[in-house]
Amino acid sequence: MKLLTRTSLSQLWLSLFILLLTGGMLMAFLQYEVSTEIKEQLELQATMVADEIRADRPVNFPLVSIDTTKAVLDRPEIFRDTQIYDPLQDKAEGYYYLDETRPINGKKYRIKVMAAHIGIDGYLKAVVYIFITMAILFIGLGALMNYFISKKIWQPFLNNLQKLKFYSVSSQENLVLDGSDITEFKEMNLVLQDLASGARREYSALKEFTENASHEIQTPLSIIQSRLESVSQFELQPEVARFVVDAKQATHRLSKVNKGLLLLAKLENNAFPEKQMIDLKEVIGLKFAEIEDLFANKGLKTELGMQSRTINANPFLVETMISNMLSNMLAHSPANSTVKIVLDEAKLSFHNEGAPLSFPSSNLFARFSKAADDYKGNGLGLSIVRQICTVNGWVVAYEYRDMEHIFTIRFANQHPISADTA
Amino acid sequence: MKLLFVEDEPVLIEEMETYFKSLDFICEKALTFRQAEEKITSYKYDVVILDITLPDGNGIDLIPVIREGNPDAGVLILSAKDSVHDKVRGLNLGADDYLTKPFFVEELNARINALFRRKAFKGADEVSFDDFRIDLSAKLLFHKDVTISLTRKEYEMLLYFVVNKGRVLSKASITEHLWGDHFDQLDNFDALYVHIKNLRKKLVSASGTDYLKAMYGMGYKLNF
Repeated sequence: MKLLTRTSLSQLWLSLFILLLTGGMLMAFLQYEVSTEIKEQLELQATMVADEIRADRPVNFPLVSIDTTKAVLDRPEIFRDTQIYDPLQDKAEGYYYLDETRPINGKKYRIKVMAAHIGIDGYLKAVVYIFITMAILFIGLGALMNYFISKKIWQPFLNNLQKLKFYSVSSQENLVLDGSDITEFKEMNLVLQDLASGARREYSALKEFTENASHEIQTPLSIIQSRLESVSQFELQPEVARFVVDAKQATHRLSKVNKGLLLLAKLENNAFPEKQMIDLKEVIGLKFAEIEDLFANKGLKTELGMQSRTINANPFLVETMISNMLSNMLAHSPANSTVKIVLDEAKLSFHNEGAPLSFPSSNLFARFSKAADDYKGNGLGLSIVRQICTVNGWVVAYEYRDMEHIFTIRFANQHPISADTA
Repeated sequence: MKLLFVEDEPVLIEEMETYFKSLDFICEKALTFRQAEEKITSYKYDVVILDITLPDGNGIDLIPVIREGNPDAGVLILSAKDSVHDKVRGLNLGADDYLTKPFFVEELNARINALFRRKAFKGADEVSFDDFRIDLSAKLLFHKDVTISLTRKEYEMLLYFVVNKGRVLSKASITEHLWGDHFDQLDNFDALYVHIKNLRKKLVSASGTDYLKAMYGMGYKLNF
């Protein structure tokens, strides 16, 4: 439930309660005032009737009855409602009557005077109408007011919410929020901006750490590798040779992983801003020519269905992406199968045959996720591909169709998503 | 050929010095920016191998100094940072090649040789061993004036072996040389084996001698 709906509902119930209460009070008060007034009037009338009797004049007022037979002194006066048939309107009308006994000239007279309700029903009707109108106005105008308040006061809040949704700590820009003159919102903006800049600082420190750590690892790795190569130059006992070969392979793998992590850190650091127009078909052709013999050696039949497609991107990243995809195809195609590369205006796709994945495809692009087979890659290739796609605003997707693994890279003509688009 | 190694890591300097001295290069070394600057301004080198991160400065800033004193010198950048930015900046300032650590000293040798040849044709236009002759500009192999046809990869591999004659080249070193950084997976050792087998067959059928020697799973060596 939206905050606005919740407060509007509360306000609605409160308005109804207040209106009913005040309406009821108004009616009770009116009724009381009117009946007091009528009683006073009836008492006056009764006194006037008594004066007439005292003066021994015949009393002939309408709605007055005088009785001497049933008169009993010391009986309290009676002021009450009654219904009297009105032959003109053909219905019973509400009347008040005052019934009292007075001693006049030594005799007891019971005087009963009556008066109509003086349109109390009409008053009540008017009060109900007025209060219904008030309720409608309260609700209607309240909604209208809320709408404008939401426009004016909530809009910056909603804008900021949208910005926060699209904000990423890896973004280069600071979190900039719309200002507001509401204290709570101001305070919240300050807290959010603090939080965002803190998270960004931590994140960039982490990235810097990754990058520095990778750099620091490269030199010791170089030493280990070159020393091992030097050891390899000697005539070694077969057992020692085996140890050295294992150590060399492990060093090599470590070096690959390190380079992959470094590249990922740099990609996240947006370290490749230089872009140029690249003929993708040409790049794929060149990259493929470099490793054609590897495909041939595995008996892979290659089908290239490529149109010319120019993209604006960083050449190093494009080459890395193509190499990684080719490497992936090569590693996961069964011997003597067919692989396909299709390039058109909208997308680039790599197809290779093979059994379905033995793990959820969502793991494919995760770092260090490895297939169950004896693939010796470092598990970073596809996450690098995805990261390269992300920085270029492209989308890479995987599907398994007709016994084929298909990786599709869709080019988008828009710029990569940034906080500004929100 | 006279080389200057600018590198602050003593073990790496020693490794490079030992290998290049064994190939009859004249080697000098500088462990700091200041030392390097001094040597560059006082002597002439054919190729300067330049590490970027030095304790007292950035190796890239030495490139203009090298160019000033010796425009013909080759400059090869060695870097622990696989940084495109450094690469572009270095190449723009006049560096000739770029190699990322960790590297194989054989690869460095191949690059230095190629660089030396490119620079004003100072290097030999052909390399020979026994009765074989490699024409570097035509990229052809001859045995006593008879052309032996090689695939592109076989040619590149042979040249790699010849330049690094007598050294045991690991499989990783050869695959990285042939297919670059991205494709040197263990899976590709099969393909390497096929190329080695074919090259060996071609050399043997031309000369009757088996030059390529396998070393206990360590790698291969070209002997002559």
